[in-house]
Amino acid sequence: MKRGRPLGCLSGTALVAALLAVAGVAAAAAASGNGIFSPGPLNAEAGPSPHGDIRRHADLARQCDRCHPSLLSGERMGDRCLDCHVEVSEEIASERGLHRGFATPANCRACHTEHKGSTASLTRANISGFPHERSGFFLWTHPMYLDGGGFTCADCHPRSLREFQSDTCYACHFQLDPSYTVQHRATFGLECLECHDGIDTFGDTFHHDVGPFHLEGRHAEIECVFCHQGGKTLEDLRRTPTACLGCHLARDIHEGRLGSDCGECHSADGWGSARLDHGRTRFALTGLHLSVPCEACHVGRQWVGVGLTCAACHSGEDRHGGQFLQDCDACHATSGWGDLHFDHGSTRFPLTFSHATTACSACHPGGRYVGTPSTCEGCHLPEDAHGGRFGQQCGACHRPTRWSDATFDHNLARFRLTGAHTRTACTACHTSGGFAGTPMACSACHGRPSSHGSAFSGECSACHSTAAWRPASFNGPHSFPMNHGGAGGSCGRCHPSGLMEYTCYTCHNAGEMQDKHKEIGGFSSSCTRCHASGEEGDDD
Amino acid sequence: MRPSKELILSLVAIVTISGLYAATVSRIGIPAASGFLGHSLGVLGFGLMLMTETFYSLRKRAVRRPWGTMRSWLQFHIFTGIVGPFLVVLHSAWAFQGLAGVATLLTLVVVASGFVGRYIYTAVPRSADGVQMEASLLEEQVAQAKSALAQASATALTVDRRALRADERRLKTLERQLGAMRWSRRMLAVWHTVHIPLGMVLFVTAIVHAAAAMYYATLLR
Repeated sequence: MKRGRPLGCLSGTALVAALLAVAGVAAAAAASGNGIFSPGPLNAEAGPSPHGDIRRHADLARQCDRCHPSLLSGERMGDRCLDCHVEVSEEIASERGLHRGFATPANCRACHTEHKGSTASLTRANISGFPHERSGFFLWTHPMYLDGGGFTCADCHPRSLREFQSDTCYACHFQLDPSYTVQHRATFGLECLECHDGIDTFGDTFHHDVGPFHLEGRHAEIECVFCHQGGKTLEDLRRTPTACLGCHLARDIHEGRLGSDCGECHSADGWGSARLDHGRTRFALTGLHLSVPCEACHVGRQWVGVGLTCAACHSGEDRHGGQFLQDCDACHATSGWGDLHFDHGSTRFPLTFSHATTACSACHPGGRYVGTPSTCEGCHLPEDAHGGRFGQQCGACHRPTRWSDATFDHNLARFRLTGAHTRTACTACHTSGGFAGTPMACSACHGRPSSHGSAFSGECSACHSTAAWRPASFNGPHSFPMNHGGAGGSCGRCHPSGLMEYTCYTCHNAGEMQDKHKEIGGFSSSCTRCHASGEEGDDD
Repeated sequence: MRPSKELILSLVAIVTISGLYAATVSRIGIPAASGFLGHSLGVLGFGLMLMTETFYSLRKRAVRRPWGTMRSWLQFHIFTGIVGPFLVVLHSAWAFQGLAGVATLLTLVVVASGFVGRYIYTAVPRSADGVQMEASLLEEQVAQAKSALAQASATALTVDRRALRADERRLKTLERQLGAMRWSRRMLAVWHTVHIPLGMVLFVTAIVHAAAAMYYATLLR
């Protein structure tokens, strides 16, 4: 057992020394403004601009509470940082610059440090791993130099990581593509970051086709700014409208009349090469319409609201003088005005036979269609061969084939045709071309034959039929018995050389008769003077 | 003098730690005192220093069922007393400023003082089990040697002369040990007067330093 120090180290001397040490530390802390607790010297490099009386952190070596707030104050060290570094505070608040997107008062120490020495860096973050995209500029397209070397921070930030000179971009990109870079600067200026965020290159390797709008035709030739007006960020570029009118609305010569889908007629090859599939409209182009200049119908480049009727365009050239209420296409085709397809059958006068091949103008002289008479005499009156004697019912005899192809039903007349009359040409009876009034008596057509002498006074039909002149069927009166000698009506037995003469010698031998009548003076061959009834003793 | 086992172990530990430290420095630079590795070095070193000051002292004052020999605890005391401060020095990241610098300096002073104390301490005669021999025991042994020598001189004719010379040498040795014990006792008292207050000041500054570090680096984030 140790004598004299039952509490081991906690001897009186040791306790006194401990108390003195506490007192000494407290005194030193008070005298140094708690500087004795500093883990190392503060940075002594002057900042870009003073904050009050402080130009460098080292000026705060005895003012620990300027950066280290009291535990009871409710503040964080980051709050004290931003009290002085207002530019960082503005970056955080405005969402731009080096600290945007991630820096907060609570995480200043995640990247920054102090007490590492008077010349030590105040940024302890691994700069190579700095999420540069949080500053608004991605490093995706800047991994390597052209010669293969990797980029370093100082390449773009030679003076300070907080500073960036836009001409830094120009210096490098000029080497990459001098002509394009010069032209690009002349167009957009030097504030590269106003448009570029580091993701895109917008150079030779950029393909617009990766986006929703493929550049074709003239679109591939124009400057980007023509469409991406005012676009400064990738989001701006992506918000560029892809509809035609998104860019071309102000120059729409159609003034919105044709809607918004320019691609229906135009291609990216240029406005002048517009190609409209007119078939997609309500007025498909056919025939001569296909070769007519657009402006012929779309006068004044009036592309919509043009009437669909023929009269909308052809009203000034209506050769019909407005006779027809219906549209032209009721008769005409677009292949030409002469290409008619009028269905005359739809009128009250269907065309048949010769009418179907007759020129329209024959019936419609002077282009007069409406009001054209539908009666025969309406057209044929001047050429009425009958002189109007048959009235106006041409159709009663004639057909539309030809005039001569008449088919008169003579039974409708008072003189019905029978026998040889049915085979006789009409003109045989109707000699003067007239028909009405033709006398019905046989003698009107048939002259009295000389053979009849004065023997027959009645109508021909008394002996003759229309079948033929012979045989006639004379039934008297006959002064001599007609059946004398069994003639039986055979006239030739007694009248072999003519009806006005007779001979009895056909049956009665002339020699015998002379022998027999030699005793009778004045005997002659006029037998009936004595034998009026044909009897042997008539004049006895 | 045969090198002590605890010194060899301490040397091995320091060489090993130095090797690891050098490898770390070559890879990431000097570990900052406020970093994870730096803090680990400081906490571990301070813990070893606390064990240095407490375990051996408690063992010395253990009256009931003491565990381990005093020599073993002394060896542990020396080992932790060397390795702990070495870790603390590495924790400093070779920057000595403010209260932390004072604490580091005090650490080095107290370690140096410990070496001095150990030298004085080893001058104290010890029994086979390492317990310091009491002066009264040594004085008794001297008296016994003197008595034996006197008897031998009185019977010089019969006594073995070689045995007599051996008694004379033992007496001289005991008298020298007694003198050394008296000297070491005085020096040890003086050393305690200096070493213990230094140690207390060291721990006060170290604790304040740790408290300040936790306050500024942790509570005020």
